[in-house]
Amino acid sequence: MNFQAFLDIAVVALRFLMPIYAVVIVYQCYASMRRHRRPEKPLVTLQVKGAKQKVPVLFWENSIGRSKGSDICVLDPSVSREHCVLLRRQEGWFVSDIGSKSGTFVNEKKARDRTRVLIDDEIRVGNTTFILKRGDEYKEGLRPSWFFSKASNKGSLQPYKLMILITLFHLFMAVEACFSNEVKDFMPLMIFVCLEVIIWAFFFVSSFVFNRINFEIEALMLFLSGIGVMLLVRQDVRSAFVQLIAMTVGIVFFCFLVKFIENPDRVNSWRLAIMIGAVVLLLINLVFGRVQNGAANWITIGSVSVQPSEFVKVAYIFVGAAALDKLQTKRNFIEFIIFSAICVGALAIMGDFGTALIFFATFLIIAFMRSGDFKTVILALVGAVFAGLIVLKFKPYVAERFSSWGHVWENAQTTAYQQARVLTYTASGGIPGVGVGNGYLKYVAASESDLVFGLVSEEMGVVIAFVIAAAIIALAFYSRAITTRSRSTFYSISACCAAGLMIFQSALNIFGATDILPLTGVTLPFVSAGGSSIIACFGLMAFIKAADERTYAAKRIRPKEEV
Amino acid sequence: MKRIMQRSYLIFFITLAFFAGVAFLAVKLVLGSADWVSKPYNGHMASSSGLSQAGSILDRNDNAFVESDKDGKRKYNGDYDTRCSYLHIVGDNSLNISTAVQSMYRTELTGYSLLFGLGMPKSLKTNSDIKLTVDIDATKAAYQALDGKKGACVVYNYKTGEILCSTSSLSYDPADPPEITKENEEEYSGVYLDNVVSSAYTPGSIFKTVTAACAIENIPDIYERTFDCSGAYEIEGDDITCEDAHGTVTFEEAYAYSCNVAFAKIAQELGTEKLTKTAEEMGFNKQFVMSNINVQKSSFDVKEANDNQLAWSGIGQHTDLANPLHMAMMCGAIANDGTPVVPYHVSNNTSIFAKLGLTKGGQTGEKMLSPDTAEKVKDLMRKAANYYYNVRGLNIAGLDFCAKTGTAEVDKEKQPNAWFIGFTESDEHPYAFAVVVEEGGYGISAATPVAVAAINELVN
Repeated sequence: MNFQAFLDIAVVALRFLMPIYAVVIVYQCYASMRRHRRPEKPLVTLQVKGAKQKVPVLFWENSIGRSKGSDICVLDPSVSREHCVLLRRQEGWFVSDIGSKSGTFVNEKKARDRTRVLIDDEIRVGNTTFILKRGDEYKEGLRPSWFFSKASNKGSLQPYKLMILITLFHLFMAVEACFSNEVKDFMPLMIFVCLEVIIWAFFFVSSFVFNRINFEIEALMLFLSGIGVMLLVRQDVRSAFVQLIAMTVGIVFFCFLVKFIENPDRVNSWRLAIMIGAVVLLLINLVFGRVQNGAANWITIGSVSVQPSEFVKVAYIFVGAAALDKLQTKRNFIEFIIFSAICVGALAIMGDFGTALIFFATFLIIAFMRSGDFKTVILALVGAVFAGLIVLKFKPYVAERFSSWGHVWENAQTTAYQQARVLTYTASGGIPGVGVGNGYLKYVAASESDLVFGLVSEEMGVVIAFVIAAAIIALAFYSRAITTRSRSTFYSISACCAAGLMIFQSALNIFGATDILPLTGVTLPFVSAGGSSIIACFGLMAFIKAADERTYAAKRIRPKEEV
Repeated sequence: MKRIMQRSYLIFFITLAFFAGVAFLAVKLVLGSADWVSKPYNGHMASSSGLSQAGSILDRNDNAFVESDKDGKRKYNGDYDTRCSYLHIVGDNSLNISTAVQSMYRTELTGYSLLFGLGMPKSLKTNSDIKLTVDIDATKAAYQALDGKKGACVVYNYKTGEILCSTSSLSYDPADPPEITKENEEEYSGVYLDNVVSSAYTPGSIFKTVTAACAIENIPDIYERTFDCSGAYEIEGDDITCEDAHGTVTFEEAYAYSCNVAFAKIAQELGTEKLTKTAEEMGFNKQFVMSNINVQKSSFDVKEANDNQLAWSGIGQHTDLANPLHMAMMCGAIANDGTPVVPYHVSNNTSIFAKLGLTKGGQTGEKMLSPDTAEKVKDLMRKAANYYYNVRGLNIAGLDFCAKTGTAEVDKEKQPNAWFIGFTESDEHPYAFAVVVEEGGYGISAATPVAVAAINELVN
């Protein structure tokens, strides 16, 4: 067998193994997410005074009231439907009245704002009095969540091992790119080294400066954004470097945001400032916006162009979520609705309908997460359909996108040029892909951002493209599962909404490029090239990271397994 | 927080919906990928001039129509006429002739599969050869007999369904395709169409076969009737004419002499409904599929026709259109007790649809006539052929022919289209055929020699 044939077989074998490898990485991250530390047991217990009944307090924030949906349901006619909130903060436990008729009393003193409660203190709502007791006084078993594996299960992969797996994956991509058909040089290796320096630095800072044990969410997003960077090398080296810089900024932003929202009460005090900041950002965009691809959503400062709407996404979720005792207040909700209207309206004026659509979907998710009211959501949806029809009437270029939807092959040289190329080259890649840098889709406009799903499929194979979708699905499942394990509803709502936003955006990107939905021109989280986009995605991940109560727990030597 | 947990099921369902979309995409990809890659703009194919690694296409005797040489050049075999004759079956390097094997089966030829993609190194490509049922010599003979006139000739084995000869004209050399510009557009009009599968022509007298079949089924005393032909027959102020007055003829004579007046009267008597029913049973207005190619439909539509137009329809004029392959298939049905065997020309068919058995050739098709009617129509055609045999000398290797000619008026300014359809009655050489020559003049003089040339080559 000659050397060339031997080399060919080696290359092909590598290309077939890469998809399996990608599956392993995403699965390991997922398994790591499912592993939980805290056994399912109550944090504290409420003892009903004058009776033997004990009520377990399971969450960091608990609503007390007569309605069935309350975390602690009190069947007492003198108790309001939504009476008060029992919540835990760094300093201890508090009770906060949320507009009850008869008031909430701690040790027979009326609680006006948040009032501290200590163990053995009495909390009276209506005619019912609870005594706060320690958690371990409650002996009965609790139903565990399906998502989290049982505590006794074997531990998942150590974070550093996960990082080594990811580094190797990126290395394979770099090596493949070095031997691409057209250009053969070692630029990809250089980019690879820069990339790994950044992600390992992040890993060490997270482990040794912030003392965080978990790194699976970060690992997943570093894995995905690394793929994006390595794909860019053979397309445009300059944008690969830009992407690396954006990643670094994103990581810093992520760390900052996780730290910033550490205290849910501080978050609340910054809410208005962030809201005003976001509106100002959008206004600047409206005034100084530069038109690109039919949408005026770019502003240029010197040699840097940014897309402010991407950052507003983060602010939007920030404003939308709130702690349980603030959630019910009308003012909070109205502010949010006004803010939503400004955001969606500004984006519509800019003509960025893809992003406006994402905002609107996120609005629906937040509105539902806060109110639980289907009627409002459906009403908003109907309104949106009407608004959409008006848009189609007045913005012909949007309507044009709809016209080629589902008729790709008839319009392969005109309106559906991009989608037709995506489908053809996706199929051309097959399972192993044609190799990093050997694709043809990279010559099509927006292939590195809007059409990146096709680019991944062509160069790395369809399996890896689907694994990327699976990674985002895993993130969404995780964000949902940690809802009751968050330290505040602020985190659980924001994590769910961030996940929902990312799912929706991925759907628009993947299905838009492959002609299942009309092409709207949004990015695929992490993988698409685009500085603003990747920074925003890292920002969104901060919400999911913060939602996990383990994030802020200090690293300590685990006690011997409790039985 | 319990409530938030419950509401978070929304995210759960959104995620499930996304998952469903991804699954849908996967299915779409598996089903469509072979189609999607074979687009003319696909860089992975163009970079190796598309077919440079592709497998050979062989005729029924393993003669290669086309093969790839060591340097990755596509080599088209045979002399100039041979290459022109098989252009429409085999195709050229481009995708211009969409029904050709090199277009339809490009993914098989190049060895594409979703599993391997197009990025495999040259040493590992798994291309495959495609074998056709067509005979290269018969195809050439038929093409030469067409003598540069536009038209088509198809011959197939009505017992097995194998297409033995299929050629279409106008043609060009696939090894040296002409550049078609604004100036020579006219000259090359329709050159990318395979007339056998993608065209339909006014049938003229060959349609009398359908009218006759309808009469046999619906007029019990048709064989006892006689028809007076004075050369012209007026219906609603317009004449239906015969070239000569045939005098008094029986039904069988009317078919053999192709008497327009008699068949106009028969069509008038049968009426719209019965005629439409028989025509549709015999495959008009119906979609046929030949080796994954959608065959152009033949059409028969007399819904809005008046009496005069109905009569013209009954003798294959008015808006009637017939596809050559369908005509051959109809003859195959008559020869085969009323039920055709579906024709095909790709014998090692590897496409996914063929594997699923959806459009495999060679199986029995839908019944066109009852065995009894088929026998009677066969008899009519035999007598028609004998009439020509006796008068004009149609004779090949002692084969018995059953046939019908047609001369279809299309345009007063132009010569009529010539047709010749029929089959041979032989266990060794069971061939059904259809020939059409545009502006050929009389069927007997223009179309018959083409069929004779092809069958002669096949028999010898």
